[in-house]
Amino acid sequence: MSSRIVRRGLIWAAAMSAAIGAASAHEIVGNRMFPATLTIDDPGVADELALPTVSVTKTGDDPSVRQTDVSFEYAKRITEDFGVSFGTAWTHLGAPGGPTGTGASGFQNIEGALKYRLYKNPAHEFVLSAGLEIEFGASGAAGVGAEPVTSYEPAIFFGKGFGDLPASINWARPFAVTGAVGYSIPASSQTVSFDPDSGDIDTELNPKVLSWGGSLQYSMPYLKSSVVDLGLPDFVNRLIPIVEFSMETPVENTLTSDTVTTGTISPGILYIGDTYQVGVEALIPVNRESGSGVGVIGQLHFFLDDLLPNTLGRPIFGHGVSMKGG
Amino acid sequence: MRTVLAILVVSALTVAAPKGAAAHARLDHATPKVGSTVTAAPKQVVLTFTEKLEPAFSSIEVRDAKGADVQTGKARGGSDRTQLRVQLKSLPPGTYTVIWKALSVDTHRTQGTFTFTVGR
Repeated sequence: MSSRIVRRGLIWAAAMSAAIGAASAHEIVGNRMFPATLTIDDPGVADELALPTVSVTKTGDDPSVRQTDVSFEYAKRITEDFGVSFGTAWTHLGAPGGPTGTGASGFQNIEGALKYRLYKNPAHEFVLSAGLEIEFGASGAAGVGAEPVTSYEPAIFFGKGFGDLPASINWARPFAVTGAVGYSIPASSQTVSFDPDSGDIDTELNPKVLSWGGSLQYSMPYLKSSVVDLGLPDFVNRLIPIVEFSMETPVENTLTSDTVTTGTISPGILYIGDTYQVGVEALIPVNRESGSGVGVIGQLHFFLDDLLPNTLGRPIFGHGVSMKGG
Repeated sequence: MRTVLAILVVSALTVAAPKGAAAHARLDHATPKVGSTVTAAPKQVVLTFTEKLEPAFSSIEVRDAKGADVQTGKARGGSDRTQLRVQLKSLPPGTYTVIWKALSVDTHRTQGTFTFTVGR
């Protein structure tokens, strides 16, 4: 296996890792609470801490490498509608991964994001946000695939609950969908490196990548509080069965890289506490390039606006009380 | 799988949500129950929330199928401040919509709607 192939595999592993670690804020819109999703960012702007998010996967390399990621993300509202976040992930690659083929460990690049809530419609349980995600190149360990180049990803996020469906199909009203579409643009179009195996100078083009994902969720809390109280146990009334999908498609500057779409489909379940949520999902690769077996991801996620409402959990500016709803 | 679960469990035990932390007030249960059909017209709607409320900034409206208000007066808080109740006019059979807004003591706003039916 040449070092070039190893590197390319690691880049895909890093890309997958970055996508998996992109969970963020929950959001309340009218009757609807959109939970924090695990493999894609959701439309929420909130004060939250995802710690930890843990995933175990087998990479799409040949031979495959077992990859464990432990990540965190902290999100902070500056105003009611505008927030920032940052996070990173620690990665362990089992053998034969890593530059020496014996495995490797280290941090991925630091990631930061800005997000602004553009529109919120409580009656129709709809929210739309826009953001800019920045991955700071070379801030992580190259041995675990951290990219040397900074990338910028403008993105759009939305959430829509179906509570406004007619009463004749009450059973469908707890359904909701969320979506995220981003376009990752590297700060440099190419990376030049020296290959110690061959003595050659490698030039690799850094592709622009379309990220797209979504979720379909069925809210038992919504069923109980807004549709029908079936008298189910409290534990069941706090569950949200969910299926997420998270994809990446290189679309430009792909001469030296793969162009195949990679990603995962992730069925799982979320438990919504008063001040936290816990989620576990399977990570099913959509093709061989995305992974060689079913992985798993779990997350413990704290709602800081509920835990620390008078300090860290409130916007820095513009926190006021009104009854206009929301 | 075992690695993921082990880390999550340890983390949850280490930083378990402290008791006493306030949160968004969610509707815990209602009388009449959400989505229920009752045979006798209720005299009041009682909502019980997961957090203490500021009753002065919380409200309940109850409307009939034509959108007319059927509550009498303003919503009042209960003794433990997790309840909100409003008295009703005499309700004929039909479907009624409850529209509530709640302000928890830590100033989180929440809102919700649900229906109940008075049978014949």
